[in-house]
Amino acid sequence: MVEIKLKNVSKSFKDLKALDNVSLTIKDKEYFIILGPTGAGKTTLLKIIGGLIKPDSGEVLFNNKNVTKLSPGERNLGFMFENYALFPHMTIYDNIAYSSRVHARDPKQTQKIVEQVLMMTLLTGRNEALPEEMSGGMKQRVALCRALMNLEQTKLLILDEPLKALDAGLRMSLRRELLLMAKSQLLELTVIHVTNEEEEAMMLADRIAVMNEGKVVQVGTPYEIYYQPKNLFVANFMSEINYFNGKCVKNGEVLNHNNLNSEKLDDIFLQIKKSSIPMQIDIGMNNFLTAFIERKTYNEMKNGDRVLLVVRANHIKIRLGHRKKDKHNAILGRISRRKFMGVFYRFEVLVKINGSEKIIIVTNPATSEIHNSILEDSEVTIYFPEELGIIFKHPGKDVVNKVLKLE
Amino acid sequence: MNVTKTFDDGKVLAVDNISLIINDGDYIFLLGPSGCGKTTTLRMIAGLEQPTEGKVLIDGKDVEGVPPEDRDMGFIFQHFEIFDQMTVWENVTFGLEMRGYEEDYIIKEAKKALKTVELLEYADEYPSIFGNPGLQKLGIARAIATGAKILIMDEPLGSLDPKVSKVFRHELRNLIKDLGLTAIHVTHNQEEAMAIADKIIVMRAGRILQMGTPYELYENPKSIFVANFLGETNFFQGFVLKLLGDGIIKIWTRLGGPKLFCNDYGNGFNLDDNIVIAFRYEDIYLFPLNYNFEKSRYDWSKMEFFKAVLKSKRFIGSTKRFYLALDNDDKFLSTKPGTFVENYKPGEELIVGIHQDDIHVFKAPDDLMYELSLM
Repeated sequence: MVEIKLKNVSKSFKDLKALDNVSLTIKDKEYFIILGPTGAGKTTLLKIIGGLIKPDSGEVLFNNKNVTKLSPGERNLGFMFENYALFPHMTIYDNIAYSSRVHARDPKQTQKIVEQVLMMTLLTGRNEALPEEMSGGMKQRVALCRALMNLEQTKLLILDEPLKALDAGLRMSLRRELLLMAKSQLLELTVIHVTNEEEEAMMLADRIAVMNEGKVVQVGTPYEIYYQPKNLFVANFMSEINYFNGKCVKNGEVLNHNNLNSEKLDDIFLQIKKSSIPMQIDIGMNNFLTAFIERKTYNEMKNGDRVLLVVRANHIKIRLGHRKKDKHNAILGRISRRKFMGVFYRFEVLVKINGSEKIIIVTNPATSEIHNSILEDSEVTIYFPEELGIIFKHPGKDVVNKVLKLE
Repeated sequence: MNVTKTFDDGKVLAVDNISLIINDGDYIFLLGPSGCGKTTTLRMIAGLEQPTEGKVLIDGKDVEGVPPEDRDMGFIFQHFEIFDQMTVWENVTFGLEMRGYEEDYIIKEAKKALKTVELLEYADEYPSIFGNPGLQKLGIARAIATGAKILIMDEPLGSLDPKVSKVFRHELRNLIKDLGLTAIHVTHNQEEAMAIADKIIVMRAGRILQMGTPYELYENPKSIFVANFLGETNFFQGFVLKLLGDGIIKIWTRLGGPKLFCNDYGNGFNLDDNIVIAFRYEDIYLFPLNYNFEKSRYDWSKMEFFKAVLKSKRFIGSTKRFYLALDNDDKFLSTKPGTFVENYKPGEELIVGIHQDDIHVFKAPDDLMYELSLM
């Protein structure tokens, strides 16, 4: 059993504020992902949890016990880093058994555990191989085995970009293995895993902490992060998005929101309905769009306040021809580029909003209907269901540019 | 044409008798896992390596002995090769000066190139102000200023953060298409290749496995490796049960039992041939047990149906992944976006549907695990 708490943790390297007042709770047996771009402070946070770096201020608690001053060895956890850090002169078996030998555990017991972890990671029979004789995927598994050996007491596994160096296909299968292992009845691990890939985070995490510029921006389940992002940064990080500048329309009446598409009424939409409400925004020249906004933000807004509406590229539907009348939140446009991507087609749609031209990105499943009918230069209608549009207070043009350029 | 390259006195065969044609204005990808020979192929086209056998032709002319700088090519590598100590302007003009152009011409071309990649306003700055996409754009400006018609790119997005790379790859394609350049781009990242390429050349172990548009490769993979490498695919082993003529065969697999019909795809299968079927995660429809097919407006006549139990599901953003198991405990995955009901619960028995045309059939290889290993 291990529950980890960080309280107001900060860390600077010279002038660089790597972590800025971070507080987090990681629950027992949770697969917890720390996600963010390079330089967000993810690895520093991980090293502070592992005891490899001491924070300037703040506390690290394991099961409510302050471990801030304890060394990594005293914290009893398993580490695995991007470059594996295997001993090149030792066989697979010796690499894995190393820590048990250092801790002078019973050799027979050690052998039993090593055999168990080898079986779990499909490495049985390869005991005598040296790291240089192994593929990237195998090295990754050996490093994982070694990390697992250390987990007798706390069952806390710390992974820093463990799949980064691997080819895409291999990464996919090892993700699945990692998850199976973490959740297996035998191990029941608590895992803290750092990555800069949102897809990896979505596939593995029970909860995700999104970091940017030394701060934790949002913590939540993949659902919450995807459908209810706290701000533009989080929304944009999880997938390709479009945004519209507009003005809040608030004439005293709250829109009726019982018209959600019942076919899609999944848990998440019920959740969105609870915490958010629909609002109309004015995007200029007598055009209006409807989307959802957090209740709290809605209450703070006045009619005419500047807002930003965000819609994910895959939440916008595309139909041939001008069909503005029969679709809600519809905009007319022309396909300027289309590209087949495998599961999806990606369209760049040229639209006119408030008198100026703008490109809207739309990704739709590559059905034969779409493949045959929606071509470059086609006139189309694009539209989105209101529950999938997210309205924020407008953060200002500079912030929008900075976030979308990811600089 | 028939190009072979060996290293280490013939001991290492890097590229094994390959022939390919790259059309003017095409954005081509050389795609494959590490060690497949894609970079060696690129370097031979660029003149950075000489073929051991075979010829490289550009515009019909044999370019044997023509050095890289005389092949009208620009080079973009993973690690930029930008001069840090020079300004953005000097980085672009340097190559033109080396070629001895007149000053007026240099200024005109450098301005045009920087404007094209939207970096003109940064001309007097040093490259260190840019993030990685900015550096790659500067590399492109430098290449087009010297009049390059062909861009040679080796993992140009390799050092970008995944999120940045996913945004920049569309920008890169649009830029190169708008300029009308021919581009040859090496990567091991199949998603990147699918997103950018006009044509993809899939390589493995020094050979070309298949080439075609992303659509052709995705819809009609000619090998298990290509089916597995591009996209997310389930595989099942089986054998041919009946030949029905018109290219339709009836097969037995552990999936669906003795009742699957599918296309022969010109393979010319015989009775009892061992086969492997492949089908994409997103091609699997899921229905509740009580689904009324007669009431639906769709034509189900070419659909194959069987039952499976939903083991678990995971939300991953644009899709959900449904992990399913058959009676015999064989497992497979579905990610069909926009499936009718998304509220299926783990443990629930479901009806699974696959369209006959979405089942790809291959001759069973000697070693299926090797074919699926992506090495």
